[in-house]
Amino acid sequence: MNAYASTFRMRWKMETQYRGAAFGGLFCQLFFGLFLIALYRALYAGKPQSMPVSAIVTYVWLQQAFFRMLLSDDEDLLSKIQTGSIAYDLCRPLNLYGYYYMRSMAQKALGSIMRSVPMILVAVLLPGGWGLAAPASVPALLCALAAVFLGLLCVCAMTNITMGLTMRTLDSRGVRAMLNLLMMTFSGNILPLTLFPDSWQRVITLLPYAQLLDAPIRLYTGEWALSQAPSVLITQMIWTLLLTFLGLIIWKQNQKRIIVQGG
Amino acid sequence: MDTVKLYLRSMKMLLRCQMQYPVSFLLQSLAQLVMTGGEMMAVLLVIDRFEALNQWTGGDLLFFFGLMNVVFYITECFARGVTGAFPSLVRTGRLDGFLVRPRGVFTQVICYAADPRRLICIGIGALAMALGSIQSQVIWTLPKVLLLLEAIFFGYFQITGLFLIEAIFCMFSVKSVEVVNALTYGGRSCCQYPVDIYPRPLQMLFTVVAPFGLTMHVPGAYILGKPLYGWPAWSAFLCPLAGGVIFLIMYLFFRRAMRYYRSTGS
Amino acid sequence: MSYIEVHDLCKRFTVRKKREKGQFLREKTIVEALKNVSFSIDQGELVGYIGPNGAGKSTTVKILSGILTPDGGEASIGGIVPWKERKKHVKRIGVVFGQRSQLWWDVPIIDSYNLLRDIYRVPENDYQKRLRELTDALDLGNILRTPLRLLSLGQKMRAELCGSLLHRPELLFLDEPTIGLDAVSKLSLRDFLKEENQKNGTTILLTTHDMEDIAALCPRVLVLGHGKKLFDGALPDLLSRYDTQRVVNVRYNGDCFLPRLPKGCSVTKEGDSYKIIYAPEQLQTPQLLSILQSAGEIRELTAQPQNVDHMIAAMYKEMDL
Repeated sequence: MNAYASTFRMRWKMETQYRGAAFGGLFCQLFFGLFLIALYRALYAGKPQSMPVSAIVTYVWLQQAFFRMLLSDDEDLLSKIQTGSIAYDLCRPLNLYGYYYMRSMAQKALGSIMRSVPMILVAVLLPGGWGLAAPASVPALLCALAAVFLGLLCVCAMTNITMGLTMRTLDSRGVRAMLNLLMMTFSGNILPLTLFPDSWQRVITLLPYAQLLDAPIRLYTGEWALSQAPSVLITQMIWTLLLTFLGLIIWKQNQKRIIVQGG
Repeated sequence: MDTVKLYLRSMKMLLRCQMQYPVSFLLQSLAQLVMTGGEMMAVLLVIDRFEALNQWTGGDLLFFFGLMNVVFYITECFARGVTGAFPSLVRTGRLDGFLVRPRGVFTQVICYAADPRRLICIGIGALAMALGSIQSQVIWTLPKVLLLLEAIFFGYFQITGLFLIEAIFCMFSVKSVEVVNALTYGGRSCCQYPVDIYPRPLQMLFTVVAPFGLTMHVPGAYILGKPLYGWPAWSAFLCPLAGGVIFLIMYLFFRRAMRYYRSTGS
Repeated sequence: MSYIEVHDLCKRFTVRKKREKGQFLREKTIVEALKNVSFSIDQGELVGYIGPNGAGKSTTVKILSGILTPDGGEASIGGIVPWKERKKHVKRIGVVFGQRSQLWWDVPIIDSYNLLRDIYRVPENDYQKRLRELTDALDLGNILRTPLRLLSLGQKMRAELCGSLLHRPELLFLDEPTIGLDAVSKLSLRDFLKEENQKNGTTILLTTHDMEDIAALCPRVLVLGHGKKLFDGALPDLLSRYDTQRVVNVRYNGDCFLPRLPKGCSVTKEGDSYKIIYAPEQLQTPQLLSILQSAGEIRELTAQPQNVDHMIAAMYKEMDL
């Protein structure tokens, strides 16, 4: 447990060192948030939807605020894979899956806290119709927080699967780019999932990608009522368990392969 | 003329370099295809749900999406030295090598890199433009074709000019990529839709500072047969020149900034 | 007026320090890379430019090749100020940076040369003639169609050299051209440079840490330290100033009885041989020899050659570099 804690601490130090980059990133995401909201407001003006525009605005801000939870590659691990020195690690009697799981969790959690706190502050201060709305209710907020945590566990399991697959292909940039794109599309970052055709939504809200941010945000805005919360949380848990299990199998196989190859 | 020859030779060479790694090239092209395809899908889904945006029909929106993608990716394909490679040129000191040759630095930077993977994105953009213009029942005439070419030409210069800002910051080793990104990549996302749907400040940003509105949307409105905000028809042919102006200003700044270049490394 | 005239050249860099804890703004320090450096070089000279790391050698070369603009002073090469008329200036110069390549990585080097021909606007028949000359002299004939990435370090350096000489520059800047090369490559590179200098009258300014290069090639050296010029003249003159010690190894048959040597000399026993370090100023060589001879029956006597690196190190130390 001590090793995990120090991994966490090291990451925290790294994250806080790049303050300049954090400011720049914040600026950029605020800009993107404002542009998306302007676009949806213009679209809504022509044809209002069942979900009120304020909910879409909140959706956009929360997606922007927690952006770093979805996309953030562990450069260290990637370069290890590219240079092949990961083989040494795989031969060590250490639970590597757990180690890298904790690393990506630290990176994602700290990255999104550092981004989301200032962004939410700004978004709350914006005038009505442009800013972040309050949660539907206090229990809804609590459910949303629990769902974000489960989403974090789920996305770390997904990252480890991606990395496990990356170890098997020589030029992984293409594969990773595609997996990242799938993630951005079906987690609702490019277009809120609520704006997808209703028939599609029945399927894509069950996909693991929707469990990361879409589900927590819908609980927050109240689009999904409190009575639906248990089934949402259970779906998240099932996916997290399944993906962790799958990731473990992939990493175990990688380990075996390395040992066999090493002779 | 000589410079054009040099450019074409360089491009031929770069293409040969890329073809040394065919599998990698193919895989990455495929990733580009999925990426731009995904963005097009998002636009189609928006059209599916909202049908129209102010005065613009679904076909119009698809046309604007296509136009932006064609112009932006032509720039990323043929001006990769400015849009992507420049910071590393400065960091690794490769720019030194350009300075000891009897050609303009800008020319050499443009000749230095190309990104043929973007050809796929340009193709998708062209497809969207074609589909959009069919849906909006555009009747193509010679002036419209010429105007479209003009818009693409000056759009290329405008985006190159905007990326030059990043290059200029590099000279003073200022790390402010994100602020410039808001104009370049931000501009690309924002101005996939016509600027007149946005609130005033965004409109001003994208007509005065980064005039996507002038290089693409006014000509687009003319081609789609929409009123030009009460302006005469010939103004559609004049507006794209704004892209050239932006490029010229940034190019002059770039030349001045080169004097402050401090080459790194021993 | 000489071909290269440098007068009172100054260059400063502002270095931003890393921000420390609790500090909001970063501190800046100004580093003076060059302080009033002056020298002149005639056409056809081959000059070695030496000094420890960070002395300002590269900065000088970068200013003279038009990459950097100085903060003060004047320089002209063949009547042109490099940073004012860059394109006109660089047409007549060639530059080789030992650590960086100007050729393309993934294509045969002949393709890189063809592109360089276009960049420098070399007429076709001139180009073909010069290319033949250079491929013969540098022995590039059978690697012209090989991509750069597949060449050995020595081959790469020869290819680079060819690339920077295609347009027949009158002035060549070489920055660490022999770094990492094996003995054979080094020697052939030196021969080539000597010939290029003598046959074509190319002025060469060679920056290096390899003192053997300097000794073999450069009749004249410029020494730079802390941004100032410290020495300008022939290498032997420079060395004689610091050439204060000699070393002799001697072995005897059977016993020997070495007397005490004068102050400033030392004797150390290494196995069955004695190592004697002496200063010719205090103890002249014939004197030492007679002392050694009278001490016993000499089996073997060797004098260690002068080590340029040691002398240069002594010089840097004395100059407090």
